[in-house]
Amino acid sequence: MNVVEIENITKTFGSVTAVDNLSLNVPKGCIYGFIGPNGSGKTTTLRMIMNIFYPDSGIIRTFGEETYGTTSARIGYLPEERGMYKKMKVRDLLQFYGELKSGQKVNKDVDYWLDRLDLSEWANKKIETLSKGMGQKVQFIATIVSKPELIILDEPFTGLDPVNVEAIKNAVLDLRSQGATVIFSTHDMNVAEKMCDFIFMIFKGQKVLDGTMVSIQDKYGNDTLRVRTEGGISALQNLDGIEKITDFGQLQELRLHTDDDHQKILSEIMSRTRVYSFELSKPTLYDIFLRIAGPEAKEDADA
Amino acid sequence: MHKVFRLAKREYLAAVKTKGFIIMLILMPVLMGGSAIAMYLFRGQVDTKDKRVAVLDHSRIVTDMLLKAVKERNAASVYEKETGKKIQPAYILEVLEPDTMDPQAQRLELSNRIRRGELHAFLEIGPNVLRPKGEQDAFRMKYHATNAAVNNIRNWLNNTINPYLRRIRLEDAGVDISQADEIMTWIAVEAMGLISVDEETGEIQEARRTSEAEAFIIPAVLFFLMFMMVMMGAMPLLNSTMEEKTQRIAEVLLGCMKPHEFMGGKVLGGLGVSMTGAAFYVIGGIFFLGRIGLTDFVPFHMIPWFFSFLVLEIIMLGSLLAALGSACNDPKDAQNLTFPGMFPVFFPMFIFMPILMEPNSTLATWLSLFPLFTPMLMLLRKAAPVGIPAWQPWVGLIGVMIFTGIVVWVGGRIFRVGILMQGGPPKFSNLFRWAIRG
Repeated sequence: MNVVEIENITKTFGSVTAVDNLSLNVPKGCIYGFIGPNGSGKTTTLRMIMNIFYPDSGIIRTFGEETYGTTSARIGYLPEERGMYKKMKVRDLLQFYGELKSGQKVNKDVDYWLDRLDLSEWANKKIETLSKGMGQKVQFIATIVSKPELIILDEPFTGLDPVNVEAIKNAVLDLRSQGATVIFSTHDMNVAEKMCDFIFMIFKGQKVLDGTMVSIQDKYGNDTLRVRTEGGISALQNLDGIEKITDFGQLQELRLHTDDDHQKILSEIMSRTRVYSFELSKPTLYDIFLRIAGPEAKEDADA
Repeated sequence: MHKVFRLAKREYLAAVKTKGFIIMLILMPVLMGGSAIAMYLFRGQVDTKDKRVAVLDHSRIVTDMLLKAVKERNAASVYEKETGKKIQPAYILEVLEPDTMDPQAQRLELSNRIRRGELHAFLEIGPNVLRPKGEQDAFRMKYHATNAAVNNIRNWLNNTINPYLRRIRLEDAGVDISQADEIMTWIAVEAMGLISVDEETGEIQEARRTSEAEAFIIPAVLFFLMFMMVMMGAMPLLNSTMEEKTQRIAEVLLGCMKPHEFMGGKVLGGLGVSMTGAAFYVIGGIFFLGRIGLTDFVPFHMIPWFFSFLVLEIIMLGSLLAALGSACNDPKDAQNLTFPGMFPVFFPMFIFMPILMEPNSTLATWLSLFPLFTPMLMLLRKAAPVGIPAWQPWVGLIGVMIFTGIVVWVGGRIFRVGILMQGGPPKFSNLFRWAIRG
């Protein structure tokens, strides 16, 4: 069963088409990652799922129903920019948002999540006294405290240190294991790659990737060589059969022409310098993102 | 509906549970009635320094009387009898011979003495004050001082010299002077209400003497109380909506509730704040008047009208201001929209006096039936003792109910678009487009 079904939605703001004929299905119980460069239409899509914006055309169904003009208590939403009453106390704010969403008292859940995310000491402090990271965690609790079945998180890891990123990640995974469906947008490809069951990429309002990580990588094949050599980048210049070299300092990533034999390229490198390590792999999500939305994609498009 | 009430509760508590609200509740009447209270408090604060006044009496008949009157006044009023404390300045007259050769030089010299602080004022009495005929300059009394217009001594001179001159004129006309007081007695026309029948006993009741309190104070108090309640409950919605929009709270709330629920919750919260304030003042006022034995002055028949119009006014203006607030992106935008948003209460303030003086004029009637102004102006007219046709408040009430419904609907449409629209200034053309297209 799909929790979210999007069929051919388009949304324009004046002369700008923010989302262009987009279709997408989000199955129940999965974690669906939305990636894409800034201004590509991620937030607009999420807002349309939330019914904050309405599409100009197309249909959005959540839990099998078209919910035009209504908000559902079954959906929790963390917006990209944090919105909290600065003068309210942390616990009061969480109870307020939780009750507003669910219509029930959520005091126990508030205490549980404050404790879990290490915020109990701040429960009676005003929001304006919190650091950015703490505010982010409070906003996350506000999103999930009413136990929604669908959780939509717009950039949930922004502004968090690694410890708190882990805490939120674990919370999201727990919620998924309890049956919730999670959609989140992120610029952190590493997180998306590791956490998401499905990845969806939007670029200039259009869907450019949609599927599991494996299926996306399969589309690109084993076209990436990661090598560590004594000579470094200088030893790898002007190799035949190489489309692009990305230098990471200690490691270089070579993208192969599809038909070229990687053994031949390895022999050529070995003839030039000492090779410490050599790995043939699929491209990372980061690399795929850059191939679609990076400068080289722009150069290709211009050409 | 629970979402609307939950948001309203938060809005209400956020406003009411502040020290500012309580201070404002207490201070507002103090500020509104500030000048009256200040006059009361400072009534005993009199400059008791003796006042020296030069007198140039061209008529030669006033001086002796004045000297005698000043002596009597100083003996009676300058010192408090029980304590001997000086409570009024003594008046000291300096009688001078008028200079007929160069009167201007004499006046300049006296003016300079006033400037130097040697004199408080000088009075020049025209030669023909007893027979005020012919050239006007000959029967004028001119009082020269640095602040002659507002001056107690001038009033005293007026009230002392004129009765004296009248008595002489009467005497000269052959009137028995012992009857002069009777002749001069002034009987005021009293303001009375209408004769009515007691509903319980069926007896005809005496008309009640109407007072300025009924004619002016009661309508004014109700009118200004409504103004205060609008400032307290509806006005803040403009800024708070703008703040919630700029701080992105609106987006979180819109993830929980529909835009019209969001606006409804805010307006309902504002209404709660106004009702709290109004109840505080109305109950407090009734209690206070009861304690000082003035329960008769409580306009009980006006209280339901007051609250009915207040509820509609807050819903109407609250929706309008929340919609305008949703179109703002910063405090400057909100500041620019404050006057247009508050025009429905500012305009009645400008025309308050003419409406109160003539509540049944055509202009007053039509303006009070225009829904934007109905709550304040109809209330004012209804509270005026003159009385207005019974159908008018009802028609006004129905009109403002319908209009409020329209404002809430249009406001909701503007709010829905405006609250998520960033960047563009709140132009009226945009507001109009949002209201039409939604």
